[in-house]
Amino acid sequence: MALTTIKGLQSEIYVPITPEPVWAPVKKELSEMTVALVTAAGVHLKSDKRFNLAGDFTYRDVPGDTPTEELMVSHGGYDNADVNKDINCMFPIDRLRELAEEGFIKAVAPIHFGFMGGGGDQQKFREETGPEIARRLKEAEVDAVLLTAG
Amino acid sequence: MGIPTIIVAALSPVVRQNGAPRAVAPLVPMGANAGEPNNPEMQKGIVVDALKQLVEIDTPGKIVPLPYEYIAKV
Repeated sequence: MALTTIKGLQSEIYVPITPEPVWAPVKKELSEMTVALVTAAGVHLKSDKRFNLAGDFTYRDVPGDTPTEELMVSHGGYDNADVNKDINCMFPIDRLRELAEEGFIKAVAPIHFGFMGGGGDQQKFREETGPEIARRLKEAEVDAVLLTAG
Repeated sequence: MGIPTIIVAALSPVVRQNGAPRAVAPLVPMGANAGEPNNPEMQKGIVVDALKQLVEIDTPGKIVPLPYEYIAKV
């Protein structure tokens, strides 16, 4: 049976294509790692510009020594109730600090990043925002990244 | 050389679809991926287990379930 009846006919329905995972090997013990947080949960400094809830491919810097009470979330894609009570449930910076004090990891990175996932210009995220955050993390000599998203 | 990552996900099918290299999935609602608010013990457990899996996962795309559960009261 021929499966093609009309040559070149395409479905109007977009199907997501799963990309191949990008693999970076682990080369150090956890106790030797400087760890950064990167989140799609819309975390940023209260003093910083809020995300555009209709879609926003920009990102915000969060310095590693920021007290959690100076952080907030602007994100239109999930229920913010929990994260408004305790930012650590999406951005566990206090837990990371405890783990650095205990020596489980070497250090909390000097810089962390927040952006608003769940939509927006995916091409910009893939080709500009993502590579730029990666470059900044490299510059900060970060050994590993813990992400929260999805 | 890149930087190794691990993602803490509430929605593991989304993470799978997007090709995340390493993931852990506690039983949490979206918005509390790293655990219940004001429950530092659960949050720390999730962060520690996620970092351990960063080192242990050796297959790209693997998602490891984590034994923590939080059900938000809506």
